[in-house]
Amino acid sequence: MRVLFDGLLRNRKALIGAIILAFVLLAAITAPLLTQYDPSARVGRPHQPPSLDHLMGTTRIGQDVFARLLYGARTSLAVGFGAGLLITAVGTALGIIAGYRGGKTDEVISFLTNMVLVVPNLPLLLVLAAFIGQASPLVIALILGLTSWAWGARVTRAETLSLKQKDFVKAAEMIGEPQWRIMAFEVFPNLISIVGINFIGSVIFAIITEATLEFLGLGDPRAVSWGTMLYNAQKASALSVGAWWEILIPCFALALLGLGMSLLNFAIDEVANPRLRTGNWRNRWVFLVRSGEGRL
Amino acid sequence: MAFLLRRLGFYLAAFVAAATVNFFLPRLMPGDPVQIMFSSAGAELPPESLQSLKLTFGFVDGPLWQQYLTYLASIFTGDLGRSIKYFPAPVTSVLGQALVWTVGLMGIATIISFTVGSLLGVLAAWRRGSAFDVIVSVGAIFATSVPAVVTSLIVVFVFGFTLGWFPSGYAADPRLDPAFSLQYVGSVLYHGFLPMVTLCAVLTGGFAVTMRNNMINLLGEDYVVMGRAKGLSDHYVMIWYAARNALLPTVSSLAIAIGTILGGSLVTEVVFNYPGLGNILYQAILARDYPVIQGQLLIMTATMLIANFIVDVSYVLLDPRLKGAL
Repeated sequence: MRVLFDGLLRNRKALIGAIILAFVLLAAITAPLLTQYDPSARVGRPHQPPSLDHLMGTTRIGQDVFARLLYGARTSLAVGFGAGLLITAVGTALGIIAGYRGGKTDEVISFLTNMVLVVPNLPLLLVLAAFIGQASPLVIALILGLTSWAWGARVTRAETLSLKQKDFVKAAEMIGEPQWRIMAFEVFPNLISIVGINFIGSVIFAIITEATLEFLGLGDPRAVSWGTMLYNAQKASALSVGAWWEILIPCFALALLGLGMSLLNFAIDEVANPRLRTGNWRNRWVFLVRSGEGRL
Repeated sequence: MAFLLRRLGFYLAAFVAAATVNFFLPRLMPGDPVQIMFSSAGAELPPESLQSLKLTFGFVDGPLWQQYLTYLASIFTGDLGRSIKYFPAPVTSVLGQALVWTVGLMGIATIISFTVGSLLGVLAAWRRGSAFDVIVSVGAIFATSVPAVVTSLIVVFVFGFTLGWFPSGYAADPRLDPAFSLQYVGSVLYHGFLPMVTLCAVLTGGFAVTMRNNMINLLGEDYVVMGRAKGLSDHYVMIWYAARNALLPTVSSLAIAIGTILGGSLVTEVVFNYPGLGNILYQAILARDYPVIQGQLLIMTATMLIANFIVDVSYVLLDPRLKGAL
């Protein structure tokens, strides 16, 4: 774990990703200090272009786009991290239990996992959200969390299977440690890079999917979030009337946050799997020769 | 053979499970789905015509298990009921029309992205650390992390509205009659260009990253070092030692991409108002057209399952280590 963090500190992708994430996080937390406007209130004339009064212009019904962007970041981050946590927790727990216990437990969990994996996710989410109707960000986070854990469970199970054969796990079994303790304190800490990749990947997935569902009009249109900003802008035909700020600003915000999180994800992947790290020509040769000695 | 048969059994079970979810979803929602369905259509209906309408739509009375069995039987005979929005068109013909557009659009986009992405991935891995690798890696990360909604909206804004180079809606000029003429085909290509570019931008990065990472993992393998030690040329080792084996896991992501073709372009189709399956599903959801939604979900699940089965077969065929499983 220590190695992981040290590696991350020295990785440029991780640094840029972390800076972007910190920037968005800070903007979300300090929203009331940065703008005096209420994100839901009508505070100006409709479709005003960016000006000193309204830094990023106003929407069709005269809401301040900058205020909506800042407060919307709170929703996106909350849904992203909430759903991401849920997805990772369920996936990791099921994966470790299936991989470590084996036998009937494994068969049942694996069957369930494979089943969920082959059913297309986005259409199912759309239908669920449509049946529930005007899903609030919290409901969207819950739906995402409960339907998207399968990939994590499969990867975690595969890793657990190989960890189970390691000496330190065998030793813990000999000493007579209880199963839950082995799973929580012997197996889990060694899965930390997979859990990290799974978590950040899930956060990205949740942020994108929440925005997509809301853009398609399946969310609660009164919620303040980047997805509903896009939905309202599209409904107000912002593009064809030339109100580019109403639609492009949430677009760039989503792209920026997505990029930051992806950079973090790739960085963890590289640190956990050093072969992926970029090296110069010489390093590659040294590496090619050395890799014959011991597999990572 | 036993391996493939076991997989086939699993996929059949998964399909029945998906059909079951499909059957119970509208019935688990609060209120009578049939009532909601027809009341959203507007007029108040007398009970007897409601009853006959229910029958036309294939709703069967009786205990739940009986309805369920009827439903399963009708699926396996290819009868998906009738659409509410496009009444009296059967669901199969509504979906069939849209299918052509989606398969054309997504099919070509997938093939282009797979070819270009894999090639970029191989080259980037081989020249790891070079400027080329940095550009490809960062570009791919960026392309995969931007939501498809955002890419679609920006493309339609820049090329459709601001520059006005390409149309921002429909699959062809609506004033033209569908025909196999130069004019009509040209119009289809012209209208399909922007959605195609958007989809390629969304898909290529993923293939490039997968291929690059596979390659890098394989470049450390003994047999690649061996190939170099034998004095083979760079290109020979790159293509016949590394890329050939790195392609194996990519084949499975290609098949999964093909499996998601039917649903994968939903957002792009909605933004570009393209009459494909994704857009039909979206319209059906807005109109609460349950038969179309259910039919669509089933078709998507079925394609996904078939794609997975093809992956299994291709693995057995491509990977000699699995030959024994046949």
